[in-house]
Amino acid sequence: MELGCTGKILVVDLTTGRIRPQAVENAVYENFLSGLGLGAWYLYHNIASHADPLGPENVLGFVAGVLTGSGSLFAGRWLVVGKSPLTGCWGEANAGGAFAPAIKQCGFDAIFFSGISPRPVYLFADGNRAELRDAADLWGLDAGAAEARLAEMHTGRKRPRIACIGPAGERQSLIAGVVHDGGRLAARAGLGAVMGAKRLKAVVLAGSQRIKVYDRPGVVRLSRELSATVQNQPPFVSGKVAAYLGRLVRALPAQMETDGLLYKMILRKWGTVGMNQMSIEMGDAPVQNWRGTHHDFDLDTSAALAPDVFTRPVVAKYFCYSCPLGCGALVEGAPGTPPAHRPEYETAMALGPLCLNADAESIFRMNEMLNQAGMDSISAGATIAFAMECYEHGLITRDDTDGLELTWGNSTAMVTLIDKMIRREGIGDLLADGSRVAARRIGAGSERFAVHAGGQELPMHDSRFDPGFALHYAVEPAPGRHTVGSLLYYEMFQLWRQIEGLPGPSRFYLKRSKYDTDVEKARMAAACSQFVNLINAAGLCLFGAFLGVHRLPVFQWLDAVSGQPRPPADYLRIGANIQTARQAFNFRQGVDPLAIQVSDRALGRPPQSRGANKGRSVAVEKLVGEYFQQFGWDRRTGQPRKSILEKIGL
Amino acid sequence: MAYTITDLCIGCGMCKLVCPVVAIEGQPRKDHRILAARCIDCGACGRICPQAAVKDPSGRVCQRIRLRRRWPKPRISEAACIGCTVCVQSCPTSCLGLTAPGGSRESVRKAVLVSPKACIGCGFCAADCPVGAIEMINPEPF
Ligand code: SF4
Ligand code: SF4
Ligand code: SF4
Repeated sequence: MELGCTGKILVVDLTTGRIRPQAVENAVYENFLSGLGLGAWYLYHNIASHADPLGPENVLGFVAGVLTGSGSLFAGRWLVVGKSPLTGCWGEANAGGAFAPAIKQCGFDAIFFSGISPRPVYLFADGNRAELRDAADLWGLDAGAAEARLAEMHTGRKRPRIACIGPAGERQSLIAGVVHDGGRLAARAGLGAVMGAKRLKAVVLAGSQRIKVYDRPGVVRLSRELSATVQNQPPFVSGKVAAYLGRLVRALPAQMETDGLLYKMILRKWGTVGMNQMSIEMGDAPVQNWRGTHHDFDLDTSAALAPDVFTRPVVAKYFCYSCPLGCGALVEGAPGTPPAHRPEYETAMALGPLCLNADAESIFRMNEMLNQAGMDSISAGATIAFAMECYEHGLITRDDTDGLELTWGNSTAMVTLIDKMIRREGIGDLLADGSRVAARRIGAGSERFAVHAGGQELPMHDSRFDPGFALHYAVEPAPGRHTVGSLLYYEMFQLWRQIEGLPGPSRFYLKRSKYDTDVEKARMAAACSQFVNLINAAGLCLFGAFLGVHRLPVFQWLDAVSGQPRPPADYLRIGANIQTARQAFNFRQGVDPLAIQVSDRALGRPPQSRGANKGRSVAVEKLVGEYFQQFGWDRRTGQPRKSILEKIGL
Repeated sequence: MAYTITDLCIGCGMCKLVCPVVAIEGQPRKDHRILAARCIDCGACGRICPQAAVKDPSGRVCQRIRLRRRWPKPRISEAACIGCTVCVQSCPTSCLGLTAPGGSRESVRKAVLVSPKACIGCGFCAADCPVGAIEMINPEPF
């Protein structure tokens, strides 16, 4: 057992009801650490090739990282992993709250579910026992209601922590996620549908076991230093100034290396919605299903979605476990309900400018509906934008939409449509599985309006603005995610300070150089993948990683927790192992990585004729081979070589 | 690690009641025993045992503290607390909570001892706080 880990996983076969704890060999931790790495190792070995994602052979895992519970900060993230029914690839989704420590306090680094239960069940575990219990009365409940009911049912001394699905997961919507703490979602990849297919309503954890750490005071010393950096918040620009900053970024032909401290300040002050207007102005947030620009959603319009609009109803900051930053926020709930979670940037943009919707109130409302139903707000918003464009072109008409007027920006219609998607009613059923599936159902060339990578709706970061995103959307074993890498992320991670041989960006550079396809770009992207895999194996938050490795002491924490210091490059190698395991997983599942396509629009094909990203296109395919090569995979096919797999026990 | 019970045990069952993780077995008036795999080393059994029959993991006999209200309690520095919720999750009896929401976007909910009576004085909250905002204090005898 690696210190910081429990050395055990819990394996649940839902078909037979058999539950058994299983020890994990040390070599697994050495090659993959815990968290995402442990998940990749387990799923690689335990999901049959070409498995049906919604069938009994798929395995759904809840994993916690090695730093969670060790005295580190930013260590409150957990992941759900499994084969994605949305993409058919490796699937993962990440969330915060307090579920990560709860997994480890039950004595496990991860909990894996296979099979399909004959009836709705939930898992209860408290460190002494783990049992499947009847969930017939919970089936059909919204996530918040299910959590409240489960909390009432488990009034032991330890308050339980709960992850569950809402009606969207139960109905196996391919864009359903897993919900925790009243509306924190592990949203992406449609893993809520996998949970629903398994008839697993919830996982309820109430353990109190302790995590052993080699040098806890040492870990805490590092944490205190970091906390001081994070708490230090200089008087900061107003929301309006941030918006104009975005405009400036758009106008200048050159830009400066970005320091993550700037993002920290924005996140601390407003949370992710602090980026709303700024992102639209600089061309980071896609507008009108990726075909629009800031001209279609100008500053006057986006003022309705200004950061301050989103923070006005806030009643308190929301902190995930061990977070010094607190980017989340609670807002007043509907009368008689507990406070709700404030919409995040991704949600606000997907339901806002992407659909030309400037009605903030409708965004709050839809956000809460989606959180309670357990549906991914990025995919939901993107699918609505797709439907609006289909409607505009007459590919779907009022007859198909049950009379809904799906015109751009019609927020009333959007609210109704979300409700229908959750219920799988009429047009909602057509759209409940995301835009790629919907395009197949609609036909008539509608695929060109579905903006996705490998089936997953793209997040609210325009790959024409930061072409680094494009590469990750395309090459990651879990395609279409914005939480791995980009040119901006690379700048903020500052890995070159501690890892020899990695390119350091210039302080000041011409924006057009971002679109050059030099080998360095592939190396930077590979480093991002490795580093973020490590972050996810450690259980850390990406926003912590934005501070850079010179501030976030991830390597030092890991050293202090295990008592076995390793050079940073060795830790990145673990990140590379995880990438290889996930890539090998995809091959086993019959996924050809070269067949994962990013939609033309997101690559600027054809380029836009106006706006911040005017004239830009991204030659992503030129870098794919180089990227593969960074991991020692076959340059042409992306297949990991046998020798590499054997070396890491796959 | 784990605590142990010696043969001074008279089977009063106090420890079994106080143990937050159901790690103690035993019939009334019979010898009790601690299941090592379950014990989280909170020390509550040692603080409650009237017979001085509990030893800590290093083999020292635990000191009974007669009145439960005199057991060590966390004192949380509101100024130092950053609201990270670690202690809330560490507490085996869930007696810590956060101050109620009802402020603005600047409001950080701080840790508070919500149910002092349920506190077993384990000190896990203080040990785990990543910024050292909690100190265990011995309440004044009165
Ligand atoms: S030390 Fe705490 S957990 Fe262990 S047996 Fe005693 S009361 Fe239970
Ligand atoms: S662990 Fe410390 S900083 Fe975090 S909430 Fe508790 S007292 Fe506050
Ligand atoms: S000492 Fe702290 S962790 Fe232990 S029971 Fe009391 S409040 Fe909970």
